[in-house]
Amino acid sequence: MATYDNKIWLLKNIRDAFIATDDTGLCEIVMAGEDFSKIFQNKAVEDRKRIKEGRYKQTSVNKGKEGMGDISEDDDDREIVTQFDPYPDMEDSEDDDLMCGSYVRYDDFGGHRQRSNTAQRLDKKEQALKKAAKIKVIKWEDPAPLTSEQISEMFAKVEVKKAEKQKSLLTEQLENCPDLPHRQYLEYAKFDGTAQLGLPTKSFKIFMTMLPEKHQNYPLVVCVIANAKIKDLIGFTCYKYSIEHPEVTLGCVHNYGLCIAEEDGEVDIGFPCLDANEPCSKFGFTCLGLVDLNNKNALTHGPIHSIPDDGMLYKGLDIFPKASDSGHSHHTQPRLNTGDSTTSETVKIAIKAVSNEKKAGDTDLDKLHSHMTEPPQYKMYRVNLLRKVRTNIPVQLVISFDKIEVEPLIPHKHAFWSKSKYFLHSIDSIAWCQMLEAKASKTTFRVLYSPLHNTNYDHINLGASIFHSNATYKYHDFECDHETAKEIVDKINIILDRRNSPCRRDYKIAKEKKLQTRRSFHTKHLS
Amino acid sequence: MRMKTGMAGDGSTGGGSQVALVTGGYDHTIKLWQAHSGVCLRTMQHPDSQVNALEITPNGQMVAACGYQHIRMYDLASANPDPVMNFEGVTKNVTRVGFQQDGKWMYTGGEDCTAKIWDPRAGRQLQCQGIFQVPAPVNAVVLHPDQTQIMVGDQSGIIHMWDLRTDQNEQLIPEAEASIQDIAIDPEGKLMAAVNNKGNCYIWSLCGEPPRPVPRKHIQAHKKYALRCKFSLDSTMLVTTSGDCSAKVWRTSDWSLLRELRHDSQRWVWDAAFSVDSRYLFTGSSDSYARLWDVEKGTLEREYCGHQKPITALAFRDQAA
Repeated sequence: MATYDNKIWLLKNIRDAFIATDDTGLCEIVMAGEDFSKIFQNKAVEDRKRIKEGRYKQTSVNKGKEGMGDISEDDDDREIVTQFDPYPDMEDSEDDDLMCGSYVRYDDFGGHRQRSNTAQRLDKKEQALKKAAKIKVIKWEDPAPLTSEQISEMFAKVEVKKAEKQKSLLTEQLENCPDLPHRQYLEYAKFDGTAQLGLPTKSFKIFMTMLPEKHQNYPLVVCVIANAKIKDLIGFTCYKYSIEHPEVTLGCVHNYGLCIAEEDGEVDIGFPCLDANEPCSKFGFTCLGLVDLNNKNALTHGPIHSIPDDGMLYKGLDIFPKASDSGHSHHTQPRLNTGDSTTSETVKIAIKAVSNEKKAGDTDLDKLHSHMTEPPQYKMYRVNLLRKVRTNIPVQLVISFDKIEVEPLIPHKHAFWSKSKYFLHSIDSIAWCQMLEAKASKTTFRVLYSPLHNTNYDHINLGASIFHSNATYKYHDFECDHETAKEIVDKINIILDRRNSPCRRDYKIAKEKKLQTRRSFHTKHLS
Repeated sequence: MRMKTGMAGDGSTGGGSQVALVTGGYDHTIKLWQAHSGVCLRTMQHPDSQVNALEITPNGQMVAACGYQHIRMYDLASANPDPVMNFEGVTKNVTRVGFQQDGKWMYTGGEDCTAKIWDPRAGRQLQCQGIFQVPAPVNAVVLHPDQTQIMVGDQSGIIHMWDLRTDQNEQLIPEAEASIQDIAIDPEGKLMAAVNNKGNCYIWSLCGEPPRPVPRKHIQAHKKYALRCKFSLDSTMLVTTSGDCSAKVWRTSDWSLLRELRHDSQRWVWDAAFSVDSRYLFTGSSDSYARLWDVEKGTLEREYCGHQKPITALAFRDQAA
């Protein structure tokens, strides 16, 4: 692989592997101050500048990028991706980047920056101006002597009346509102992350799995300050929930634990709860399930073996602190460690069961749609699903009028880390589909979707994510022979055009906007 | 004619401003609370400075906050986390802010050794601003209920009685070499209290026309630094807060101690406010909590948690039920 000759990439991976596989956390402490990959990054910047001047622009840019983010390395290898719409600013910003000489902002985005540095700065300035325009400013001016008329008007004497005994509205409200259930969690209120000034915060979707099913429909979205510990997050969740649902009685904070959960709220019982004393900034997941510790043990099959925490792994590989914003679940991350086989089997069985159940329910729908005439018929293709870190896997891609299914064809029985996943996307969550690159024998194509619109089938997504205005889009890349690829892309596009879902419309509008700004940006600079 | 309407309007009550508890402190935020439930409704940003004092406008629509080189006004009815008005041209800490009872003008005092009258109608030809210079940094400013006199307490221990109509002033020195920390006048305009950094509290009767102070009582209220003093609306109680981790409520009838409000984790108690029926008292303290006490029973009724750092100022607006 081309990346192996990149010393930055290698250094980073070695470093991350140490950190990720070390349960004690000592590695991280020891290596905290010495991130050689960062030092090399800076060297790479200089290198790039030099090479660029020598007009070897393309190669040097790719090399520099690989060091920046392992997530984007594959994409950048493919020239075509730079033309792919979610990154229109990449080319625009190259010059800005070099002029500023700062690459810090790479840490702020999940490998794909939306805006160039200059644009961001202009935005900030504009916002500050807008804010200031709304604020009325009253300047102190040294006063001129007042006329006696003014004095009598401004400083008119008021007769002081004896205050009558009044009944207070507060007193009345207090009487109508006796003791409150959230009071027992009050100490956690200070971890509220909303409207903190200058403090980093973190948002989570918490599923209250320990409550009866009728209360589990929606996850509770909580925002806490980033240095809150997991136990504080538990406490704050209880606090927030008891304010919103005072009728539900929650138990003691110490009886609860937070577990990794899927986007649909299913708790991964194969994993231990997150360490209550760790700061929540350490973990990359955004979907968590609140579980009753007493019940949790009963749910798991066999004893919980200590598996190196995915959060650690995520953090190790994750040079973008905000990557968690993309709504990744833990399945989006590679597993470098081979976990305990009992646990892995349990997880696999559970996931398999879910997929079977969903499939069973969907066959009826398929039959319905197969009666519809021409293109939007149920059709199955054999393609390869491209993956960033792991090897590509053969999958069965099923396209019908209302959904797209991706099912792995070869189950890996023993290798836990190569466990592949079944996906189901509602067609209304698919935003875009296009060919990426045609090689001699193979053609790659991409399906872009929005997890937000995937309401019908709330599945975990393997795809990498792209930040695009406010919405987050993710994608799957596939590979197959040219004919099939063309057929699939055509088919999906016909369906998309027919459905014209809000997701697709939003995406088109955003794309159009981006193009326009790019155009106007260029015109401005040319004129 | 030109000065008919003030910034705070005609005194009518704005929407959503019936009962409002506002706190501010070292974490550069101002929080609006639902007083009876203890839930934080909103957080407003107070960048670059701690909050030294808070005051809700007479019409209940806005809250003024003063801090280091800043005086800002926030809209209580909207969800805007930023100030809607900014008073510029102040140096050093602004320690107190208050309003004329109809909202015609605002007064402030600060470490720049002045007390100021602000006319918020910017851009007018005729602005009614006023300034009063004293020799030492100002810690306390309070307006007499007759709206014509402002008491200014400074760090050298002098209380200046500034007559707004004549621009004349008189001085009071209750204790030498003790900085005045706060001054209060009861709603009937008959009593004035001042606390100093030695923890002493001095009380005067105000009688005559214009009111002249007559020494009435000296209480050794606290063993340490006193921070605030305030009369209840029915003038029957005086609360003093202090660095000795307590708030003390005194009967104005015989100056005996009615309640000593303490909490294990409370630390310094910076500010306090009574409910309109004088039954409840709010306190704000260094443990970043505000608390609601039932003064009659002496019990702790509510706690307000959400600030990251000490609460140094609070303002409460109640309404007659």
